[in-house]
Amino acid sequence: MADKPYESAWAHSMTTKEQVTVIGRLFKFAAPYKWFFIVSVILSATISAVNVFLPWLLQMYMDRYLRTSNATLAIMWMFAGLYFLGMVTRAIMQFWQNYTSTMGAEYMLENVRRKLFSQLHKKGMRYFDQTPGGSILSRLMNDTMTFSNFWALLNTLMLATFAVISSFIAMAATDMTVALWTLILVPFLALTIWYYQHYSSKVYRRMRERLSELNTKLAEAITGISVIQEFRQEKRTATNFEKTNEAYYDTRKAMIRTNSLLLSPIINLFYALGTVIVLSIFGIRGLHEVVAAGVIYAFITYLNNFYSPMSNMMDSLSDFQNGMVAGSRVLKVVDDQTLAPAQHPVADAKITQGKVEFRHVTFAYDQEHPVLKDVSFVAEPGQTVALVGQTGSGKTSTINVLMRFYEFQSGEVLIDGRDIREYPAEELRSKMGLVLQEPQLFYGDIQTNIRMFNPAISDDQVQQAAHFVQADEFIERLPQGYATPVLERGTEYSAGQRQLITFARTVVTDPKILILDEATANVDTETETMIQNGLDRIQENRTTIAIAHRLSTIQNADLILVLNQGKIVERGTNDELMAQHGYYYDMIQLQNAAHAE
Amino acid sequence: MSIFRKLSWYFRLEWRRYLTGIIGLLLTALIAIIPPRIIGNMVDGIHGQSMTGRLLLIDLGLITLAALAQYGTRYIWRNAIWGGAAHLEQLLRNRLFNHFMRMDRVFYQKYRTGDLMAHATNDLEAVQRVAGGGILQFADAIITGGTTLIAMMTLIDWRLTLLAIIPFPFLAVISWYLGQKIHRAFGESQAAFSRLNNKAQESISGIKVIKALGQDDADVADFDSQVDRTIDINRRVNRLDSLFDPSITLVISISYVATIVLGGLFVVHNVITIGNLVSFISYLAMMVWPMFAVGMLFNTMERGNASYDRVMELLEQKTHIIDQTDGITERPQGTLDYHVSQFDYPDDAGASLKRIDFTLPAGHTLGIVGRVGAGKSTIMKLILREFDNYNGEIIFGGHNIKDYALDSYLPAIGYVPQESFLFSTNIFENIRFARPEATKEEVEAAAAKSDLAGQIDNLPAGYDTQVGEEGISLSGGQRQRLAIARALLINPELLILDDALSAVDAETEAEILANLKAERANKTTIISAHRLSSVMNADEIIVLDDGHVIERGTHDELMATHGWYQRMFNQQQLETQVKGGVQ
Ligand SMILES: Nc1ncnc2c1ncn2[C@@H]1O[C@H](COP(=O)(O)OP(=O)(O)O)[C@@H](O)[C@H]1O
Ligand SMILES: Nc1ncnc2c1ncn2[C@@H]1O[C@H](COP(=O)(O)OP(=O)(O)O)[C@@H](O)[C@H]1O
Ligand SMILES: [Mg+2]
Ligand SMILES: [Mg+2]
Repeated sequence: MADKPYESAWAHSMTTKEQVTVIGRLFKFAAPYKWFFIVSVILSATISAVNVFLPWLLQMYMDRYLRTSNATLAIMWMFAGLYFLGMVTRAIMQFWQNYTSTMGAEYMLENVRRKLFSQLHKKGMRYFDQTPGGSILSRLMNDTMTFSNFWALLNTLMLATFAVISSFIAMAATDMTVALWTLILVPFLALTIWYYQHYSSKVYRRMRERLSELNTKLAEAITGISVIQEFRQEKRTATNFEKTNEAYYDTRKAMIRTNSLLLSPIINLFYALGTVIVLSIFGIRGLHEVVAAGVIYAFITYLNNFYSPMSNMMDSLSDFQNGMVAGSRVLKVVDDQTLAPAQHPVADAKITQGKVEFRHVTFAYDQEHPVLKDVSFVAEPGQTVALVGQTGSGKTSTINVLMRFYEFQSGEVLIDGRDIREYPAEELRSKMGLVLQEPQLFYGDIQTNIRMFNPAISDDQVQQAAHFVQADEFIERLPQGYATPVLERGTEYSAGQRQLITFARTVVTDPKILILDEATANVDTETETMIQNGLDRIQENRTTIAIAHRLSTIQNADLILVLNQGKIVERGTNDELMAQHGYYYDMIQLQNAAHAE
Repeated sequence: MSIFRKLSWYFRLEWRRYLTGIIGLLLTALIAIIPPRIIGNMVDGIHGQSMTGRLLLIDLGLITLAALAQYGTRYIWRNAIWGGAAHLEQLLRNRLFNHFMRMDRVFYQKYRTGDLMAHATNDLEAVQRVAGGGILQFADAIITGGTTLIAMMTLIDWRLTLLAIIPFPFLAVISWYLGQKIHRAFGESQAAFSRLNNKAQESISGIKVIKALGQDDADVADFDSQVDRTIDINRRVNRLDSLFDPSITLVISISYVATIVLGGLFVVHNVITIGNLVSFISYLAMMVWPMFAVGMLFNTMERGNASYDRVMELLEQKTHIIDQTDGITERPQGTLDYHVSQFDYPDDAGASLKRIDFTLPAGHTLGIVGRVGAGKSTIMKLILREFDNYNGEIIFGGHNIKDYALDSYLPAIGYVPQESFLFSTNIFENIRFARPEATKEEVEAAAAKSDLAGQIDNLPAGYDTQVGEEGISLSGGQRQRLAIARALLINPELLILDDALSAVDAETEAEILANLKAERANKTTIISAHRLSSVMNADEIIVLDDGHVIERGTHDELMATHGWYQRMFNQQQLETQVKGGVQ
């Protein structure tokens, strides 16, 4: 296990082979938008051609007309017009080139996010048990972004390549000898690029690590401020932060130094030295013969075109490794095979009765250590089955199996007498209503929280459901009634109110089978009475599997299962269990004693 | 300009750095004039057949020297100015952080975490840009623009120069205008990103509910529609962004037209040489960035100014808690006398506490019960000196708690809230947060007392297991026990458990309470809880409702009164039996 979370993100560098595989797979994400990229490539090529054409035009103008002083005003205007036309063409192409390439990257980015998001929904609960929510979110939102920057890098790389090729061709066409001489600098340039790449990517990575460490510490200090202040740790925390801040400043200085030494200043130097080479050859020739002014002008401009995209390209190369690492992490999520339990390929059964049966079910979360052992029971349509037992005895796990959150290993789970796998997932979800211990609200308003995403549910039905569980009282007192906004997680509502809303959410779907997991456990005793009425009403006419600690729920149950360490140790109705003089009997005795007091 | 004045303290502090930077920039600009002029001369020399070997050597030597010198001066100004900006950011960030450490509850209620983060990141970023990019744009506009302009006018021809640079002010306008629009569009794009982020976060944390409701497809569809909206917003950003280069191209194309026609006429009429024309075109290219910089400078300053004001507003906030730094330095010990006749939260008029009086001798335990919002936590917050604006006094160890230096007062108190914060580090460091010098044995002992040791041993990496955002998520009960261990490690004179056992089961709770009783013989404890079994062994129990005491006494006394306590106790008793009764 990595002990520094912010480092692990950047920690490993990949082999070339891994990189090639990753790039290959990343290209596939871009495939649907290939036209954006194709258009952008074509435009890049054309732009570099125009960039060669413009100096050539001036060269012609100078050498053919100005030098020989036979330029009429008409010719001047013609050249000016041509030049203007060239510039306008270039402007239009620049716009579309940039726009298509950034939009292509944008579409690809969002495509990856969509794919990843729907992939996440296909994963089993086990995946979410084992992967922290924060890291899933970071894969989905940040890593996808990082590797979309990777496309911006390809874009600058492509522009640079075309510029280099086209300007070299132009130089060679103007004067082969001089063009070849300028190549003298290329090995030094390559060495600089290589060295910069090698050195700066290290510094850059360290800088990013430290920045994220800095921001993590800052965020933690703010959210954890009361702990820090109550334990009087302000000084230590601040010193620690200042150290990180200093370390970040140091790497930033190193990055600035590296860029000052090896980035645009050195590219400028190369350009200047290239100019010196070009000028010395032309100058030596000029001692004996005439060298046209336009040729010199054009040559120097080509040289500029050759070098100017370099620093941009080198700068964005720092993102290469990040893009690769981010991309490979995204792919890892896609590849993960912790899938949700599958139904039979042709599952089309319908739930009509609501009978639930477990036959010798054994289940382990990790395939190894069973938490349910040989569990069997039947809940007839309309009956209530209560699960009781200590924390960790397997009550929630029983529900997890019934809800198909996890795949069980052996035995059978039957609904209306048929294997649960014969029902399509949608059928199970719509006929089984689960109310969890922790009520969870979503961003939106009260109405959307009851209806959730189901457009088939009318406003009327929403209100009826709320009325049914007696949530309407408090909802109607809210400033905007059913349209009152719910912010993230709904923390502005009390636990009881939140639970009532989730009851309404369950009732509105009119499930045949109702499943309750200690739906009233986390609220204080007074809030609970408020919830109880709602709860009693939604159980009417439904098969109910309930984990409950309320005596009335249990006493009225048609079947009570007492679980211990994954096994059912006692079962029966209230009367039967009373007669057994076992655990249940003791429990009721205690209750009576308490009432008598 | 006002932002430059506001930051003048920094420029004065770092004057050496900035002087070096400006000199570097000035030299770079001056040297930059040389090569185009020499190239022009050489073109003319070659053209007019007046070039000699000696002249050639001098010219080439000069260009080479200029190139090397420029490399040096560029290195110098970049280092100085970008370094200065980074240093300013570091300075302000430290200042903000130290300020955050000193601020009280009132401050943290006024400013949300997200806002504070935004000030400490985005705003500082905008301010440092003034000290880096802003200075550069300023210098570029004046120094580079000025020297190039003078060179063009004096070395080539002033009429040609004036005509050719007519369109240039448009560059400034465009960069200012587009810069603003992009900034706004980019803000929207970031907002879209955080909306999408929140949506995704909610789906991930609510995955079980979504699955249970069979709403996977609908959730994916909702995400998709948010993605579509995000794309629409980003399309705008991309469109604006793609306009930058083409607008430069269009504006300077007009300059080129002027140069080609008028420059051509001048060459033909021998007003300037063809070499001059070549130099002129080079100078023209050198004018583009300075003009663009003018427009950008306005945006940089505007944003920097707004950000600087926001940061200053934060730094001007004062804490309401006055620390008697020269106050009593001994560790508070002994009886806690609590007499508060009234307390209101600063932003809330209705009294939150009324006539709360109790005396808690050393070694005793006080239980506080009552429904949610009754004021249990509020009583404790006053002991913790989170608020000082109450009527009455709280005496601990013979002195008013306001008379102690906070440095000696707070370390004597161990406070455990219902939801304690875990830092993104391992369990070991989290437990010894308040005493970083504690040994492994001490940490293990504290974990054992809070009944957490066994749980830790079951974790993949034991005490080294990472928790927090990116670490494994502990259950509510485990988090509470960790927080208790953290508080026990400082061996506090007064331990306050504020509903801190709500998520552990009754059995574990009993075990922890027994441990506390045994270990903390002469130390004082205050426990608030919903589950009355937590407080039933306390020496005194007070029942709160709406900020005042409605019942008080020992467990037995309260059971005899047939009031709220007795009713609740019986009800809960039944539930406990049913829930956890199987042994
Ligand atoms: N998501 C999970 N992954 C692995 N083990 C689990 C998971 N949830 C519960 N367990 C384990 O399964 C056992 C049964 O737990 P559970 O069904 O939640 O009990 P109950 O609901 O009765 O308190 C416990 O030992 C628990 O630690
Ligand atoms: N920081 C605060 N600002 C304003 N009102 C508050 C603040 N904290 C709590 N309150 C209010 O004070 C009352 C008592 O709250 P609290 O002491 O937290 O109750 P308890 O701990 O008993 O649940 C409640 O009405 C609550 O809304
Ligand atoms: Mg459970
Ligand atoms: Mg409280």
